[in-house]
Amino acid sequence: MPEATSADIATCESEPIRIPGAIQPHGFLLSLDLSHLPDAADASAARVVQVSDNLADFTGMAPAAALGQQLRAVIGAAADQLAPLLRLDQARDRASFLATTALDAGGPQFDVLAHVCDGLLVLEFEPAAGNLEASLHRLYPVVGDFLNKINDADSIADMSQLAVNEIAALTGFGRVMVYSFDKDGHGTVLAEALQDGYEGYMGQRFPASDIPRQARELYLLNRIRLIQDANYTPAGLLPAMHPFTGRATDLSLASLRSVSPVHLQYMRNMGTLASMSISLVVEGKLWGLLSCHHATSRRLSYHQRTVCEQLGQILALRIRNRADADELQFRLEVRRVMVNLLGGLTQGTDFIENLRTVMPELLRFARAGGVAIVIDDRLISFGDTPDDSQIRQLAGWLSLHSHEDLFHSAHLGAIYPPAAAYAHCASGLLAMPISRIHQHYLLWFRPEHVYTIDWAGRPQDKRGPGALSPRTSFESWREAVHGTSAPWHDAELELALEFRTTLLGIALERAEQMADLAEELGRANKELEAFSYSVSHDLRAPLRHIVGFSDLLMETAGNDNPERRLRFLTNIKTSARLAGKLVDDLLSFSQMGRAALRPVRIRMGEMVNGCIERLTPEYASRRVEWHVDTLPDVIADPAFLQLALYNLLSNAVKFTAQSDPAVIRITSEKLSNEVVFHVADNGVGFNMEYVHKLFGVFQRLHRMEDFNGTGIGLANVRRIVERHGGRVWARSVPGEGATFSFSIPDTPLPDKE
Amino acid sequence: MLKPILLVEDNPHDLELTLIALERSQLANEVIVVRDGADALDYLHVRGAFADRDHGNPAVVLLDLKLPKVDGLEVLAEIRDNPTLKSLPVVMLTSSREEQDLIRSYELGVNAYVVKPVDFQEFVRAISDLGIFWAVLNEPPPGSQRYIKPQ
Repeated sequence: MPEATSADIATCESEPIRIPGAIQPHGFLLSLDLSHLPDAADASAARVVQVSDNLADFTGMAPAAALGQQLRAVIGAAADQLAPLLRLDQARDRASFLATTALDAGGPQFDVLAHVCDGLLVLEFEPAAGNLEASLHRLYPVVGDFLNKINDADSIADMSQLAVNEIAALTGFGRVMVYSFDKDGHGTVLAEALQDGYEGYMGQRFPASDIPRQARELYLLNRIRLIQDANYTPAGLLPAMHPFTGRATDLSLASLRSVSPVHLQYMRNMGTLASMSISLVVEGKLWGLLSCHHATSRRLSYHQRTVCEQLGQILALRIRNRADADELQFRLEVRRVMVNLLGGLTQGTDFIENLRTVMPELLRFARAGGVAIVIDDRLISFGDTPDDSQIRQLAGWLSLHSHEDLFHSAHLGAIYPPAAAYAHCASGLLAMPISRIHQHYLLWFRPEHVYTIDWAGRPQDKRGPGALSPRTSFESWREAVHGTSAPWHDAELELALEFRTTLLGIALERAEQMADLAEELGRANKELEAFSYSVSHDLRAPLRHIVGFSDLLMETAGNDNPERRLRFLTNIKTSARLAGKLVDDLLSFSQMGRAALRPVRIRMGEMVNGCIERLTPEYASRRVEWHVDTLPDVIADPAFLQLALYNLLSNAVKFTAQSDPAVIRITSEKLSNEVVFHVADNGVGFNMEYVHKLFGVFQRLHRMEDFNGTGIGLANVRRIVERHGGRVWARSVPGEGATFSFSIPDTPLPDKE
Repeated sequence: MLKPILLVEDNPHDLELTLIALERSQLANEVIVVRDGADALDYLHVRGAFADRDHGNPAVVLLDLKLPKVDGLEVLAEIRDNPTLKSLPVVMLTSSREEQDLIRSYELGVNAYVVKPVDFQEFVRAISDLGIFWAVLNEPPPGSQRYIKPQ
């Protein structure tokens, strides 16, 4: 495992891992002051201002003697090879490779890395492993090969397995693992490659405290670390402090950086002498680590490490792609459920009833075990939920404590203690208010997800208070976790918010529809009032006339002239007939409001001709010219439409009584989503001033003896057309005729009444 | 010398019965009959078909509530809205006891509201009472002209 350990995190986090003041002794370090060069072009004259105290092991020069010397005096001929490469404008965030060179002709080769630290150029020399070109020739195909293989891997686990296999083969480490961090920082082993004799950690978890915070930060900066031999004796820096700043030298970018003694102890406790870790950085975050262990010390050249680092980067990129694709897939799935849901929600008229019908989809939407809706005193629950009073209390608590559009917790009992009582079904809660005004909630419950963690060693294991000492046991230790549910996925939360917005939109639309409905009801009510008004006025009149003329007949019996008596009798008869007709008309009118429409395709031409035929007896003694255009078919209720048509045609016949010849035209217009029919006559017409009264119940624009009728015909026409979703209107110039028009939509409205 | 009574009635049977009732009340006033609200207003405004009539308001308007084109309430509203007509006595005659009509009529300043009784004798009595009160007993507002019945 990487450096540092469990134990006291506070102490651990204060471990000065960036400024250990020492390096691992398998190489040496020297820092150059590139200012004050006698010849700016010749950096071999740069002065050495800081060295590692193992300098003599490699150069034979005492460290103290090297300080203040020119570079070439310390490393000899190698200085001339390096001089052109020594610049302060090195990349800031990593050490760069300068060259492989020998200090003395024919002597051992060193890989030289350089990085800049507070104005100093820091050179690190580590013994090179073999021929550079040969190793590059061997290493780079590995990368290409790995790229091919990992592209075929589907899951993150498969990719990780490929990576550990590759790195194990490349480096010879006895144990290579990939582990990922969860949101609490605990690491879980996803893949491992083991040589014989190495214990496996597959599936186990390493506590977050194994890697203290400052180590994680450093891992983001410097993505690969190697400890060749945990039993090393660190080589200190001379002088210990940075010659320019006077502070401890920051070795963050140094590949030879010495690690914490606590970590070395941890490694020894684990039976590991060599370790390497490679950061897996996904979207700027430390997603996980590629971690390598070996029971004995192991050397790895800079080039080997670089290839390992590249493999790690490739893995991280693929993980990111895979995670993106998984995320996308997941979102698509959730969105598909949401679309189904919304479809269900707009089916019927009662919003709450609609919600009830989509309960199973609601469950699936949030991958929940139970769902509840609290709307005023109505509570609908489905699946595995707390009981009603518990849900109400929870909603009450939410209204006081959560003012967000969305509340979620995977451990409800921790913030709302009463929930501990029903942790089995509601350890997880996702709740959202579904009204902007009222405290209405939609609640999703997730059951307790009791799971066990196989810790690689007890996380709390310590030697003693305050002692900074690594844990010694890595034996698997099983912990059961209670009271929590499966976590709420980010995508779920986002889509839940989206769902809420849509839901509020639907509710708003419902409210508008309700308002429309209320308006429509108001209109129907008004019609009903007009109806009863008519009954009291128009129905009473003929009765009064019957009584009046009967009284007159009786009192004048015998002594009146017969002509007058005959007229009274005629009046009585017509009044009685009118009363009967009024009752019939009123009944038909009210029926028209109730009977269901049965729309079919209608050939309008045939229907018009049928009506004209029926009307023939009414104008037997007159000349009437009919002009009927070719008329399109419509979808409508045939019985009702015929009634409307008959009314209009009969009106046209009636009001052309004085015209000779009467000319009646029936025409049509096809508009974008409706057909309009016109019935035009050359009759008496009407004054447009009174057009608003034309279609009212028992409204007449003419004297009764001029044109008979009860005044209900056009009210019927309007009602029939409006129930088909169409409109009626009329135009006229008095004395020149009138045109009555109505429209029938291509797709009739679903019958509302 | 008596101003006429303006009867506004569209229904021929009602018209006949009302005329008989007026005849029986033995009022000397001439009865002028118009058949809808629009004609009534033309008569009162001395325009249209009535442009040539002698000027002067009738003694009383007997106004049926339900009329073609312009109904009784609309006629009443226009009378009350016009400076030369607004003090004219108006009696609303109607078939029904609909409260809304009654309220609306009084809001518009009707002088009397009569539901036509079904019994004819009662109807005669009601019409004759109305005629006597509004056409004979009631002092017309100052400034109105006496109407001389043409011979």
